[in-house]
Amino acid sequence: MPGVFPKWTNQLPLNIAAGLAIAGAAVAAGLGYYFTPKYTRVGYQPIQPVPYSHATHVEQLGMDCRYCHAGVERSWFAGLPDASRCMNCHHQVLAGDPRLAPVRDSMQTGAPVAWIQIHRTPDYVYFHHAAHIRRGVSCLHCHGRVDQFEEVRHDQPLSMSFCLECHRRPEAYLRPLDQVYNLGWNTDPARQNEQGRLLALTGDMRPPLSCSGCHR
Amino acid sequence: MNAAPVLHGWLAEFATADQVQAAAGRVRQAGYTRWDVFAPWPIRGLDDAMGLRRSPVGWFVFAGGALGLAAGMAMVWFMNQHDYPLAVGGKPMFSTWFALPIAFELAILFGAMAAVLAMLALNRLPRWHHPLLQTPRFARATDDRFFLVIESADPQFAADRTRQFLESLECVHVEAVWEEGPCDT
Amino acid sequence: MAALRSQPLVAPDPPAELARPPLILNRRGTAWISGKVSGIAEGRAPRWWWAAFLPSAGLTALCFAMIAYLVSTGIGVWGLDCTVGWAWDITNFVFWIGIGHAGTLISAILFLLRQPWRTSISRAAEAMTLFAVICAAIFPVIHLGRPWDCWWLFPIPNANAIWPQFRSPLTWDVFAISTYFVVSLMFWYVGMIPDLATLRDRARTRARKLVYGLLAMGWTGSIRHWRHYEKACLLLAGLSTPLVLSVHSIVSFDFAASLLPGWHTTIFPPYFVAGAIFSGMAMVLTLLIPIRTLCGLEDVITVLHIDRMGKVLLAAGSMVGYAYAIEWFTARYSGSPHEIFAWENRAFGPYAWAYWTMLACNAISPQLLWLRRVRRSMAAVFLLSIAVNVGMWLERFVIIVTSLHRDFLPSSWSYFRPTLVDIGTLAGSLGLFLTLFLLFIRFLPMIAMAEIKGAAARSGARAHGDPDPPGGLSG
Repeated sequence: MPGVFPKWTNQLPLNIAAGLAIAGAAVAAGLGYYFTPKYTRVGYQPIQPVPYSHATHVEQLGMDCRYCHAGVERSWFAGLPDASRCMNCHHQVLAGDPRLAPVRDSMQTGAPVAWIQIHRTPDYVYFHHAAHIRRGVSCLHCHGRVDQFEEVRHDQPLSMSFCLECHRRPEAYLRPLDQVYNLGWNTDPARQNEQGRLLALTGDMRPPLSCSGCHR
Repeated sequence: MNAAPVLHGWLAEFATADQVQAAAGRVRQAGYTRWDVFAPWPIRGLDDAMGLRRSPVGWFVFAGGALGLAAGMAMVWFMNQHDYPLAVGGKPMFSTWFALPIAFELAILFGAMAAVLAMLALNRLPRWHHPLLQTPRFARATDDRFFLVIESADPQFAADRTRQFLESLECVHVEAVWEEGPCDT
Repeated sequence: MAALRSQPLVAPDPPAELARPPLILNRRGTAWISGKVSGIAEGRAPRWWWAAFLPSAGLTALCFAMIAYLVSTGIGVWGLDCTVGWAWDITNFVFWIGIGHAGTLISAILFLLRQPWRTSISRAAEAMTLFAVICAAIFPVIHLGRPWDCWWLFPIPNANAIWPQFRSPLTWDVFAISTYFVVSLMFWYVGMIPDLATLRDRARTRARKLVYGLLAMGWTGSIRHWRHYEKACLLLAGLSTPLVLSVHSIVSFDFAASLLPGWHTTIFPPYFVAGAIFSGMAMVLTLLIPIRTLCGLEDVITVLHIDRMGKVLLAAGSMVGYAYAIEWFTARYSGSPHEIFAWENRAFGPYAWAYWTMLACNAISPQLLWLRRVRRSMAAVFLLSIAVNVGMWLERFVIIVTSLHRDFLPSSWSYFRPTLVDIGTLAGSLGLFLTLFLLFIRFLPMIAMAEIKGAAARSGARAHGDPDPPGGLSG
């Protein structure tokens, strides 16, 4: 039986090689884009039981982050406000608003409002809010312009490489302690490094890069 | 596809390796350049008789091996010393000693890949369609027979004279090999 | 035409006892070789094939079931614990990797040593190598607590920005095993191209023509092609020889580079390489002795081949026996109480049964192969090869488990007992190995036809007082 391959098959090897190269590049690019936290985590925005707007509270009313997230300077956990904190104002403001019904229920029953957690570090990562805040890392760096959010969303990847960016080059991010909660603070990018280096030096800040720095 | 078939060359069949080897010497003496011998196993000394030069595959393997060694060293240095130095067990961040096993394995890997790819590229393989593979008698070239082909592309090729020349050799059979279309890919 | 050939030197015929025995018995010709070997892959599967294949496929299913159970439930389904953290998993890994060394030994080292008899067994041994490496590769992956993260072992950029830690022999092992698999696969496939072309040219159906044609890549047997091909094969053999030595050396570093008494020994790399060749040669014999009879290949895989493999087995077994003796000497000579305890615990501790069985199988039983009558008895060599397989598995078990089960803290001393899942996974991996091998002999040329024809032609020429022509393709 003579050969069964028609003549055009002789062009196949190069086509197959080129096809494999393109497919390989596409798979690598696809995995890099769709399978990393930059895609899988950024933008996560669940519907919360109460349509709380940071923009209204911070931008319009000028409230400080620490009013609600009271633990952020003292604890590993920034803390969420309990219903009584909300009701300090809301027993008068929007007192009968149906949107606040879960908060009022919580106030009466003592069961916390069922907020859906968005930012979640894995069990094997030790992250301390106060350790970062008190050294001049702003809320902004991990949470984005949360002061302008109508609804909270996952703004930064919070992957290990994201942490390392700052741990390796803190001078690019550190800011004076009085500007930590000023999310709109703008410094001259040219000055940031110089200023940040000074802050790192005076504060003796050497963020750990070893495994046990964060995985204890 | 339906272009008139063109003569690819004359195919002579031989029963033994000695006969085809002797014939190859004659063909070479006669001054042909576009010709080839086909055998089920490599016949010692036949490539010399055909005037073929040493295969350059070795140079590709050397280049592949050197590249693998350098790539292995560079990779270990980049990953463990440059990009993310992590202190482990009091060992240095980089040393050629612990990079050596990796670099060695990559040298072997790249060298072996270079050998295979160079062999395929120099032989222009894969090439699934070939006029000879359409010739029923040629099937025995992978079994127990030896073949010699003088292609029509040879400047000395003359349909009748070449055929007579091949028949004058100690062969079993001579036949024409046809190919589709005017030229080969 | 005779005038063109240089007149061969006439060498006196060697005396009968020094004459080279023929590679192929009964003056079988080249067409007979093509027909016989291709015929195995062409006809209907014989009954013995199904009788072997169905149980093997069943065991393969068991292997996958055990792995699925392990992955879905956790490592706790195995018998290991905090003290014996490596047990059957790594024993099986080292066992299979060792088996995987014979193919390259036969194809590469014997090729470089110009041993033409290897041509009859090289293809099957190479295939066996590949399948053994596949079986071996399963175990390090599934012994990770999170097997889905096994890609972290490779230097792939990731969102964690971390790289493999190359100071550890475990990462060397990843590179060694992967390289070994890829290079063995290429060596095996490239070696098979001319034989696939034979199968293609003999094919009668369109489907076979298409499949074997695709795999043969359009091989025509052109001398211009053979020239590059032979060079590539020679270089692959040259590269595989240091590779095969490095792979088991690096496997031994997994142990030797640690600080554990019983593992931390400089003798480990050569000792492991000898053991690997030993076990691999035994597995080749275990497979080929039945197959030569079942496939009617007695004229190709002759008694002489089994005899020579028996000699390799004897040499490797003696080296392994020597290593056992030196282990003892090193432990005593070190004067270190920990080393001495580790050795004594091996020989007289709770696992003494494993140690002495291993010694009987690996060091003592191969000594029977000094006898020519044993080497030429198929039944005897087959039984010995089974004993060596068992012994070499036990060797890895002894090295791994007896070194671990007596911790420095007596409160953590433990005794490893395999669970049914452990046993099922080992049996399943054996089934996977046999399934792949049976598929191989059913569908691919199990004997290197082109090589054996060439070797027979050359040795035939030599037998007629015709020396090798100078030069040559493989120079």
